[in-house]
Amino acid sequence: MDNSKMEGFAQEILSDLVEDACLGLCFEVHRAVKQGYFFLDDTDQESMKDFEIVDQPGVDIFGQVYNQWKNKECVCPNCSRSIAASRFAPHLEKCLGMGRNSSRIANRRIASGNNTNKSESDQEDNDDVNDNDWSYGAEKKAKKRKSDKNPNSPRRSKSMKHKND
Amino acid sequence: MNVLLYYNTYLINMSKESQMRAAINQKLIEMGERERLKELLRAKLIECGWRDQLKALCKDVIKEKGIENVTVEDLVAGVTPKGRALVPDSVKKELLQRIRAFLAQHST
Repeated sequence: MDNSKMEGFAQEILSDLVEDACLGLCFEVHRAVKQGYFFLDDTDQESMKDFEIVDQPGVDIFGQVYNQWKNKECVCPNCSRSIAASRFAPHLEKCLGMGRNSSRIANRRIASGNNTNKSESDQEDNDDVNDNDWSYGAEKKAKKRKSDKNPNSPRRSKSMKHKND
Repeated sequence: MNVLLYYNTYLINMSKESQMRAAINQKLIEMGERERLKELLRAKLIECGWRDQLKALCKDVIKEKGIENVTVEDLVAGVTPKGRALVPDSVKKELLQRIRAFLAQHST
């Protein structure tokens, strides 16, 4: 087969492929119309205006001022103290005794008995081990595993770095 | 006599050619290349906005015929000719390159 015939053949194949693409689209559209989901994402002009993206300084894309709540204060429902908004979530965590850190700190206090020596150096190491906050049994196991840790592991030196900050 | 000879030769060459085409078409399908070409074309057509253009054309057909009555044939007839014309040259070029490469490799 010479070149011009090859070229004709190639064009024919392309033509078939394009036809397939068109037919495919028509079938998809037809099904969408009959199943009722073709026009779902059409909205009228007025509604579109209501939700247009806002592009002004000092305001987010919805038109709301976004650091409105930065300096507000909230009253803790537990201890009735007035806390800054950005510190509120961590405060609640400790105050209510929920969340990872508060159980860890509490355990350490229990473990060291009356010894007020609070060691923070192992917090990084026990990230995974203390994920099971609600089961007391798991925390007992955690104590044992802590002593098995390799004192020369790189993580230890990482937490040493944190201690010096 | 001569005319018949020429005519026969013409017919034999024709059928050789169609045999070759059939063989290449078969290879195209069996080796999965046709499917790959289809996918490539589909991706390119979405990328360049062709699909959205055609969907808009479909909307016109639907509004004209009504949602209840519109048939596949209505859509195909209303949209396919423009669809063919709207394929960008760059997309055609790329597909053709691949097709030619395949033909060059597999036509003996």
